[in-house]
Amino acid sequence: MQDTPPATPADRLARATPPTLARKVRGLSDRSIAWIFVAPTILLLLAINIFPLIWTIRLSFTNFRANRPNEPLEWVGLRNYERILTDPDVWQTMQATAHFLFWTLFFQVLLGFALAWLINRKFRGNDLMTTLIVLPMMLSPAVVGNFWTFLYQPQIGLINYAVEFVTGIPASSFTMLGSVSLAPWAIVIVDTWMWTPFVMLICLAGLRSIPDYIYEAAEIDRASKWRQFWTMTVPMVLPFLMLAVLFRGIENFKMFDLVVLLTGGGPGDTTLLSSIELKREAFEKWRTGYSSAYAIILFVTVFGLASIYVKALNKVKER
Amino acid sequence: MSAFIKGLLALRRGPWEMLATILIALGVVMLMQPFALVLFTYSFLVTLVGTVMFIIVSHFKE
Amino acid sequence: MSAYSATEPSAASKWVAGTLVTLYMVITLLPLAWIISTGFKTGPDSISYPPKVIFSPSIEGYVNLFTDRTRATPEQLATMPPPENFVDEIVQRRGEVITGPSRFGERFLNSVIIGFGSTFLSIFLGTLAAYAFSRFKVPLKDDLLFFILSTRMMPPIAVAIPIFLMYRELGLSDTHLGMILLYTGVNISLAVWLLKGFIDEIPREYEEAALIDGYTRFQAFRKVVLPQAATGIASTAIFCLIFAWNEYAFAVLLTSGTAQTAPPFIPTIIGVGGQDWPAVAAGATLFLLPVMIFTILLRKHLLRGITFGAVRK
Repeated sequence: MQDTPPATPADRLARATPPTLARKVRGLSDRSIAWIFVAPTILLLLAINIFPLIWTIRLSFTNFRANRPNEPLEWVGLRNYERILTDPDVWQTMQATAHFLFWTLFFQVLLGFALAWLINRKFRGNDLMTTLIVLPMMLSPAVVGNFWTFLYQPQIGLINYAVEFVTGIPASSFTMLGSVSLAPWAIVIVDTWMWTPFVMLICLAGLRSIPDYIYEAAEIDRASKWRQFWTMTVPMVLPFLMLAVLFRGIENFKMFDLVVLLTGGGPGDTTLLSSIELKREAFEKWRTGYSSAYAIILFVTVFGLASIYVKALNKVKER
Repeated sequence: MSAFIKGLLALRRGPWEMLATILIALGVVMLMQPFALVLFTYSFLVTLVGTVMFIIVSHFKE
Repeated sequence: MSAYSATEPSAASKWVAGTLVTLYMVITLLPLAWIISTGFKTGPDSISYPPKVIFSPSIEGYVNLFTDRTRATPEQLATMPPPENFVDEIVQRRGEVITGPSRFGERFLNSVIIGFGSTFLSIFLGTLAAYAFSRFKVPLKDDLLFFILSTRMMPPIAVAIPIFLMYRELGLSDTHLGMILLYTGVNISLAVWLLKGFIDEIPREYEEAALIDGYTRFQAFRKVVLPQAATGIASTAIFCLIFAWNEYAFAVLLTSGTAQTAPPFIPTIIGVGGQDWPAVAAGATLFLLPVMIFTILLRKHLLRGITFGAVRK
């Protein structure tokens, strides 16, 4: 195939199915194989994802309660949406989510980029260290969250002891998870501990995608290191960073497992993220219709962010 | 800027996707901002419009 | 003046970078080290102040993890036969008697069954779909691929509401089959995207040669593409397995007994009076260790896995 010159679309089509080859293909046609191969996946996703989604949309217009399935179903129109979107308490949980989202992204980008930048110095043992640093992000958030409650114990916990050791503030004088002012930060710390490696890995890929000759050219132009960093390194890594931020943003917007085991939404609703609130409405208060509407609001937001994410994904793929 | 408007008028994918992205981002910010309840109330509508728009315009020609 | 290179960092900057990264690594691994070491502490050692770094190791945590116990009075203990093995001895020394095995073993086994079951299914279906997407003209390909990916982004709690109702109708709640199907539904998007990337990298010429040699399309897929994609399939499988292994939200909402996996179970481990931290740590260690090992095995493909195959390094 090497000898064929660059061709018109028609030529390429002809080459894709040479007659000798087409004759040799026995059995099913490519078209039917394609369908047979794709269909089971699509069917499964329709059954596990799309059908339930449509059901949720339907329920969101009713006052259905899953613990009383035999009560007559009443159509309430858009009232569920109206109730949620004008409720200051729901708004409050969105702000708790925003606090968590903003600060986790802030610290993870800062630390993740810095680490990637340092690891990119290619010092001895950087591969091994990268692998070890990555470990936390692959672990079960539930089990990790549960264990961090132990680390956060006042008096006996490792974190409180470390704080006392470094700053001299007595370990028993504060409780990270029990205090209204500290709990929102406690969950930020654990999430940052867990997911900084994620941002780091993606930034590292971005840094390694920058060809050396660009820097060599800049050296010849006598551009300062500082200038090189801001005019070359940062713009080249930015698409990768966007990818990491969007993905972490989506994940933390729907955060449930880690935080539910750390604080369960407390103390006093300060760490009540939207998913935790949704779980309470749906599976503790059993307001199924109402929580379906809530779920749709979260879902549309995530779906919108996911479309941007896929766009960013394709952009990076082209590199 | 005028290229952007021309692209919109010619139903090109790029500028329309950009517009949809901005709407989605705006909706998300409105959903989580701590300043005004009324912005929170209309955030869902903005995100929904942006998302639906994104799905439609991603089928426009480049 | 030595040869100067624009791209090779100086020895001093390497040393500084190495030191800072080492520092971060030590801090970040400390909680993990603490989990593992707490599993080998006795109850009093685990909650001592200041926290004990040096302690005499004990397997009490592991014994507690696998047994249910009750407190016994000294008189009762006196009437008991002498301890038959070291497990009885550890328990009786604390004034307790074993009443039976705990449910940790069962829950761990559930995690294994559901993890492997859903991984197998998602790899099986995912490989077929990925091959079709990679090699054939599928109508609406981009839309289907986006649709497949977007299903993974859905908030689990939002999905759990209708799944809960659906499973209740179908009798699938708290069953292994139900959880396997659900996790397959979530994992299949990752499997399709990752595997499509791996299959895209296999030159089409191999199959075309096989087709010319008289293979059917299906034989070419089985005998040429599958062996070539083996590494990709293996690393995708590990990613799916880790997801199913770690999953908590669906597990806690949709299972309660027979099909409950380990993540919702471990936080509920309590000893005789209060949370039994050595036992929790022992359970966490046994549960997290396989993932750590898999992560190290997977290190070359990690980046691909977390970006759905977009970034290949």
